Amino acid sequence: MASSLIELRNISKSFEDTLVLDDFNLTVNENEFITLLGPSGCGKTTTLRIVGGFETPDSGQVFFEGKDITNVPPNKRHLNTVFQKYALFPHMSIEQNIAFGLKISGKTDQYIKDKVKYALKLVNLDGFEKRKIDSLSGGQQQRIAMARAIVNEPKLLLLDEPLGALDLKLRQDMQYELIRLKNELGITFLYVTHDQEEPLTMSDKVVVMNGGRIQQMGTPEEIYNEPENAFVADFIGDSNIIDGMMMEDRVVKICDTIFPCIDEGFGKRKPVDVVVRPEDIIIGKPGNGRIDGEIVHNVFIGVHYEMEIEAGGFTWLAQNTESFPVGTKVSIDVEPENIQIMHKPQTKEEEAIELDV
Amino acid sequence: MKKFGKALYLVLIILFLYLPIGTLMVLSFNQSKSMSVWSGFSLKWYKEMFNNPMIMEAVWNTFTIALIAAAAATVIGTVACIGIAAMKKNGRNTVMALTNIPMLNADIVTGISLMMTFLVFGISLSRGTVLLSHITFCLPYVILSVMPKVQQTTTLTYEAALDLGASPVYAFWKVVIPEIRPGIVSGFLLSFTMSVDDFVITHFTRGAGINTISTLIYSQVKVGIRPTLFALSTLIFVTVLVLLVASNLSGGEKPSRGKKILSAAASVMVIVILGGVLFASGITTKTSGDEVYVYSFGDYIDPELVNEFEEETGIKVIMDTFDTNEEMYPVIKNESVNYDVICASDYMITKLADEGLLAEINRENIPNYNNLLDEYMKAADASFDKGNRYSVPHTIGDLGILYNTNTVKPGEITSWNDLWKKQYSQRIVMPDSVRDTMAIALKAKGYSLNSTNEAEVTEAADYLIAQKPLVYKYANDSARDLILGGSVDIAVVWSGEVLYTQEENPDLAFVIPKEGTEQFTDAWAVPAAARNKKNGELWINFMLDKKVAEKNFNYLTYSIPNQAVLDYVADDENAMSILFPEASILEKCEALENLGTEGDDLYSVQWKRFKS
Amino acid sequence: MSRKFLSTPYLLWIACGTIIPLLVIAYYGLTDRSGAFTAANIKAIFSADHAQALGLSLLLAFISTVICFILAYPLALILRNSKFGKSGFMIFIFILPMWMNFLLRTMAWQVILEKGGIINAMLTAMHLPALEIINTPSAIVLGMVYDFLPFMVLPIFNTLMKIDDNIIEAAYDLGATKKNVLFDILLPLSIPGIASGVTMVFVPALTTFVISNMLGGGKILLIGNIIEQEFTTSSNWNLGSGLSLVMMIFIILSMAMLSKLDKDGEGTLI
Repeated sequence: MASSLIELRNISKSFEDTLVLDDFNLTVNENEFITLLGPSGCGKTTTLRIVGGFETPDSGQVFFEGKDITNVPPNKRHLNTVFQKYALFPHMSIEQNIAFGLKISGKTDQYIKDKVKYALKLVNLDGFEKRKIDSLSGGQQQRIAMARAIVNEPKLLLLDEPLGALDLKLRQDMQYELIRLKNELGITFLYVTHDQEEPLTMSDKVVVMNGGRIQQMGTPEEIYNEPENAFVADFIGDSNIIDGMMMEDRVVKICDTIFPCIDEGFGKRKPVDVVVRPEDIIIGKPGNGRIDGEIVHNVFIGVHYEMEIEAGGFTWLAQNTESFPVGTKVSIDVEPENIQIMHKPQTKEEEAIELDV
Repeated sequence: MKKFGKALYLVLIILFLYLPIGTLMVLSFNQSKSMSVWSGFSLKWYKEMFNNPMIMEAVWNTFTIALIAAAAATVIGTVACIGIAAMKKNGRNTVMALTNIPMLNADIVTGISLMMTFLVFGISLSRGTVLLSHITFCLPYVILSVMPKVQQTTTLTYEAALDLGASPVYAFWKVVIPEIRPGIVSGFLLSFTMSVDDFVITHFTRGAGINTISTLIYSQVKVGIRPTLFALSTLIFVTVLVLLVASNLSGGEKPSRGKKILSAAASVMVIVILGGVLFASGITTKTSGDEVYVYSFGDYIDPELVNEFEEETGIKVIMDTFDTNEEMYPVIKNESVNYDVICASDYMITKLADEGLLAEINRENIPNYNNLLDEYMKAADASFDKGNRYSVPHTIGDLGILYNTNTVKPGEITSWNDLWKKQYSQRIVMPDSVRDTMAIALKAKGYSLNSTNEAEVTEAADYLIAQKPLVYKYANDSARDLILGGSVDIAVVWSGEVLYTQEENPDLAFVIPKEGTEQFTDAWAVPAAARNKKNGELWINFMLDKKVAEKNFNYLTYSIPNQAVLDYVADDENAMSILFPEASILEKCEALENLGTEGDDLYSVQWKRFKS
Repeated sequence: MSRKFLSTPYLLWIACGTIIPLLVIAYYGLTDRSGAFTAANIKAIFSADHAQALGLSLLLAFISTVICFILAYPLALILRNSKFGKSGFMIFIFILPMWMNFLLRTMAWQVILEKGGIINAMLTAMHLPALEIINTPSAIVLGMVYDFLPFMVLPIFNTLMKIDDNIIEAAYDLGATKKNVLFDILLPLSIPGIASGVTMVFVPALTTFVISNMLGGGKILLIGNIIEQEFTTSSNWNLGSGLSLVMMIFIILSMAMLSKLDKDGEGTLI
């Protein structure tokens, strides 16, 4: 078990009348790439700012390597941040930007010079020392912001939607770049984003947040394949969320049709939410599957076709490499292990969250 | 603790900003016109303000000029911005650089350069020249407010409108204008504010008798400011405050009903006040029927007398005012306005008469002529108006020394040279006007105050330089306030100021120094170019009426050489000695004479040497 | 028809209202009363009186500008970080006094600072020594600071407001102390505002004649007073224009230096 680097204990924070974090607990281990994921307003950025020291929680404590740093100002914390809009100092050259933190900590000129050179090399921008900030592209500014932060050798790097302002292609490149950096440097990354795809590619651990609470925490695979509630399922990737009834262990009824599944322990004749990923829907000839239906929509989106199938009173979203023209009569089926059963929301609060989405 | 420090700093700065404003507001409710003594709450200055046609006209001028200038600048500027945006980069940069010149240049340079340009091209200074100048300095504010908005607006929306079938004019009004409206509004408001607040440029480019609130204040600062102007400024300030608070309240995202009503009420109040002021000033400037055009020093007649004259004769009075003889002279010389009667100082009467600019006065039309005191007519005959053909004295004054008998022994001061005694260091106020101040030094040295002998004038200037460390302040207006407020013990003042100050403080004594002094006579005269000479003479006759002279005396407290005034003060020995000094003193008095260009230059050079 | 022609009326106005008047000043400044060319009006600045007045004007304008900056910068910083600043209350507070006529506001200082005035009455009541600055250069500096302080505060405030909070947080994040943030981040980034504030205080302070008239007790002549007198009392336009030309050289010099610092015209009053 890796040792904990940052621990948030019972953190609550509200701005004016809005409760942003509600009794929030989180532990980040050393050398982890952990992502806070959620819609805007879910409290992820506030969490990051509390770790960074830019906000003080109303209650609760922040521990860094076991020490309480709740009231330590940001300039005294051994961590650095890469800001959403990079926040590079516009009046300084690239070299001065990267050297800023080193100068303040009183490093020698030679050390600073070497370190800047090394950092620029690390982000693939060798020789950019004397360039002006406004002569850089968005992606290059992003790299400089990274270089400026890591040159101080922080134990923890906070990244606040660092790729949000980049275009798709650049974003994908930068994702690999981040993974490479993380592996080379051995720094812990705490990463905040609202983009559901980024964390799946990069993270060791994903924390899905909503309404100031953690909805689910786990590896990308766990989050994707076994969402714990409808919010997570809906937020991560496309999915079909269908009202179902748990007849008994390993048997669920969806659209008046019995499906075998692998979940147990929900009780008998209990209403549940059922999640089926679109790529898990098997399309066959009419009568071959469990429910018959008809293709009502079909669009090619690159690698595969995305289709909507009207079947059993529900419109299923399905993905398949084979195209079925609109109007084709088909049947659908799902493998038992691809059916994910979730509890219906219990409390009013949870319902509210669901309605929000 | 830190927060407290910040809050304290903020409070101190705000106090610093608003202390003078608060002081003025308090003084506007002061019973007395003194600025250093509080003598009870009164609204009389507010009443006087509304009854004073000069102030009302200045208000009218200020706001109409500001409104027209801001509107014209907004239209020209906005249209220009659209044109400039279409220019190539070099052209645009050149135009923007030129636009910045009046913004960044010193006001005084802009003012004098415009003034000289007008006069060089033969445009005489008037309300129009003020307006043109204001448009000139407002334009950059409009351009700089609108230009960024125009540059933000791409031509795309305009083209989209055309594509949807709009005509260019329709697209301009419905698409372009709404997009740049915030810039237009702020440009207009900024121009309006700058125009209302301007003094320097108006000071140089205004025509004779055209006053805005600023120039009226400046001219009064020179001759002694009355709290009516504090009242006026307080009223304007409070109006704007209410307006801003109202717009701030209604500017919120979701104004509540209450706030809406409040802001509506506030707006209505402002409109009523402004409308009232403009209406009142509109009445006073309205003209009809038989008229008399009067041109006089500012605040030189009890304003109530103007109404009395109109009631008595049915003749409408059109009154323009000036601050100095030099300001009045070109107006009469160029006949810019044909005045029926003017008031001018002794030496200026001589100059105007010599140049044939005055008409002889027909005494048959002035039955009250006999009320004038003989000895003063003789003095006029002997000096500035041979044969009393062109002028009728209005007021007379002598320069003398007023001192506080609590701190200076009575009788201790008898000579101008006493003002050079070290024991009075930092307790003296001297006049601040080339000829008057030099006159004191010349008289102290025993020379004529009209000397053009370079050695004598230089010696006098040296003498003034020697006195400079002893002088608390050189001032014309505030001398009486300084002595009343106890800031100084000795002040050189005109005899007309004395009775009023003694009323406030009976321990003040006045002496006319033994070397003799400067005496002025301001007199009525009828210009040769008068349209209605008879009405002018009617006016003079009215002024010579015993009751009118007495009333005027009570308003001005200056000596009026009228039998009625002499009778009125005859029993008061003190007043007599101040207002009608004995013949032995009068003998040694001199009136200022015109010195010519070379004489003026001599005084100017020596004056600057003394001042710097 | 090109849209460019819409600017024609304005271009004419610039020609008549800006360029020609400057040429007229130049003409008068370089000729004598008879219209013959002379450099005497320019050289006149070297006469003792004029040089002394110009020197004093430069000194007082410089001191006032420095004091305005020292007062304004912390103020702008405080307001940047407070709710007041963001709500526009700030603009309100500083624009509002402009609606009390500035001549009267300046004159009010006479009343306040007079030997027998409000401040000294309070000091005497507290048995403190009297403040004797009226009718001295100090009173003129006070008047200048009072009248022009808003012109320093507003541009600085506006540039400070434009600095992204993230940039300041980034500095703290990299270990900066408050001092580092002030000197390495805030000050350099607000230079455009400072430059435009300095211009807007220095130029009117250098050229004023009203403030020195009202608070100097008639003992102090600034270059503005001399120029004004040449036009109003002495009627020597040529000398007045000559001295104005010299004064403009100083204005242009100071602006040329400062405009380099505010290349993009970021420091605005509006």
